Amino acid sequence: MAEESKWKEAEIRRDDIKKLLENTKKLAEMYTDVLQIKRTGWENVLRARAKKEAKEKQNG
Amino acid sequence: MAEFEALLTAKAEWKPHQIAKAGDISALASAATNLAEIVKSSLELARNGMEVVKLLAALQNINPILVALDKLADEVLKQIHDLKEAGYWYLYVDPYFKGNVTGTHPFDYGFEQLRNEAGKRYWQIKNDSGNWEDTTTKPEMIDLDQKKARPKLVTPRKLIAGGYNWFDPLPDPLEGQSKFPQFSVKNVINEFVKAFDDEGDVPRYRKNAKDSDLPKKDDISKGMDDSAASVVYDIDGNPFRGWDPAEDFGLELFDMGKRTAEQSRWPLDYEASRKPINTKVSIGKPNILGNTEFDGGSGAIAIIIAADNFDKFASVFNEFSKMFSDIPEFSADQGQNLLNKLKEIITPNDVKVSLTQVDTKYEKFVAGDIISGKRYGSLGEVRSVNSSATTATSMKGQKVIKVIDDLGEPLKDKEGDIIEVLEEIDLNPDERWVDMEIMVKPMRGVDGYNPWTPGDTVLEMEKRGKFGNSEATTAETGIDYYDNYVMVGAETVTLPKNLRVYPKIGKVLVETLQVLPDSTPPDFDGIQIKDIVPGWGEFFQELENFVKQIKGMIIDSTGFIQEMINMLAQIEDFLEHLIKLIDKFLEFFRITLPSSGVFALYIPNQNGGNEGLKKEIKNATGIPDMGYASGILFIGTEGDKLIAGGGSKNPIDLLALVLGLLN
Repeated sequence: MAEESKWKEAEIRRDDIKKLLENTKKLAEMYTDVLQIKRTGWENVLRARAKKEAKEKQNG
Repeated sequence: MAEFEALLTAKAEWKPHQIAKAGDISALASAATNLAEIVKSSLELARNGMEVVKLLAALQNINPILVALDKLADEVLKQIHDLKEAGYWYLYVDPYFKGNVTGTHPFDYGFEQLRNEAGKRYWQIKNDSGNWEDTTTKPEMIDLDQKKARPKLVTPRKLIAGGYNWFDPLPDPLEGQSKFPQFSVKNVINEFVKAFDDEGDVPRYRKNAKDSDLPKKDDISKGMDDSAASVVYDIDGNPFRGWDPAEDFGLELFDMGKRTAEQSRWPLDYEASRKPINTKVSIGKPNILGNTEFDGGSGAIAIIIAADNFDKFASVFNEFSKMFSDIPEFSADQGQNLLNKLKEIITPNDVKVSLTQVDTKYEKFVAGDIISGKRYGSLGEVRSVNSSATTATSMKGQKVIKVIDDLGEPLKDKEGDIIEVLEEIDLNPDERWVDMEIMVKPMRGVDGYNPWTPGDTVLEMEKRGKFGNSEATTAETGIDYYDNYVMVGAETVTLPKNLRVYPKIGKVLVETLQVLPDSTPPDFDGIQIKDIVPGWGEFFQELENFVKQIKGMIIDSTGFIQEMINMLAQIEDFLEHLIKLIDKFLEFFRITLPSSGVFALYIPNQNGGNEGLKKEIKNATGIPDMGYASGILFIGTEGDKLIAGGGSKNPIDLLALVLGLLN
């Protein structure tokens, strides 16, 4: 005979929503890091370019 | 009347639900999907872009981040996919908010019995000389039966909720009586079980267009080949007779379709040319493809919110509704109404009542007075008096005057009859009676709220004991214990006039409609995803366009690089904003609903179909029968594919996992 079902006082959670939010947050944070690195990289490229152009101008 | 009819037809109905496909949560899920997909599509670009920025010192560090980001984006997409796959039926049993079931007041009506100041009931006992003596000592049943004792009832007799019960006179009817309608745990379970048997709770389809555009009502006495027969078709093209535009039917129906000019030379393609003539308006109880006797694998989660007093019930119910805001009945807008509705049940808005003929001989009403309508049982506390609106009541009368001549003899007309004229007189010359305008805080009596009915006599009331649950008196226990009020001087009505105590008295002229006060901001204020998401939509669109643009351009223009740097900075700002908003949401969803007052029953996938679930729900033990309850029942049926990481074919098991019921 199957075990009789029982009601229990339950601490209901919404782990589905929590996990989705946490992962989305983590995703947004990591993506921000990547974007920052990319931005710094492009800024470096621009600076190097400007430096090169200035040098070329100086050398005539 | 409409409300009454709605109550008569109200019932709990099954509805479908998918996590991540309903309400605000669906918006969040779609935003997370967008972010994950865009991250994935731009990762490739990031790698390619890095070729150009070889000078970048951070290049050595970025590849591991990109790999991890890629993996995380995959995980988010998978999670959303899993949640979207998980569909349920749910049944919401709600006696208090939408009222799809009706609670009952637990009292009976009876004659009002006099009480002393402590609220104890007065009885009368026959003494040795045969005279009746007052006492507050409760008599024995045998004394009441032998007429040696009797209740001391109010004179004149007044029928009230929670009055003297002739059939069970000894227990005090006010003890344990609540003023809120009750719907117990047993009632909720009963509704859960009943819903499986509800023959009417099947998919229903209602006509689509005006009657003139639909097939006409079918006369089934005509043969199938009779050109006057009005045959309709199901989705597979099977013909049906008996169509009636005025009725709802349990399946989707189509007309025969018409040939267009182009099709006229070809046999009719009924699928292309037919038009649906009805649309699904209700889902019906859990079934598979309309099979209401489904007996395959199914599982259930039943949740009941219950408390032994209304105040506590309302607070747990409100928390619960916030947690399930992805279910339409509990969504943020509804949630606000729900909270207001529960608040209104406990503390209603003040009303403005105009009184007339307030007799100043017994004093005017003042703030703090408790007043009641004598016949209709309205009850409330006077909050304030608009003194500028207190004026003498206009009480005009007429009297007959006989016109007399100089000798004092009455004048007569031609027929010899005495001439009489009517003269208007002021019946309130010394302004004893006044009109007043008062603000009243309505109070629930044992039988709930009663309106202030024009013409009803308003009397001053005084405290006589309490009613309700004597243990529910604090914020911790909930509050469900209230003062009981009776008319001032009720026990002196039978005494000689000089010994009587008279209450303040007036009459209801009218209750004035009040503009509703500004709504209370919802608890969800600041964390409503739907308010945030419109901005997200635009953002992701922009981001996507940006990624597309970049892919098609050669990165050698200084202007373009600068533009891209600016854009990257904007995206970073937005993501920062997004992270802050997510944190706000998380603050709420990290909280676990307290177990006190929330009961759950998890029935894992079983093969007995609806009947099996019904039996399990009916026979499950371990829940006390408390007076105030509402509930929600989720049903999941077994599918073909494994879901939730391959652990189960029934989404109910996924739901149990995410709700924390498997611990």
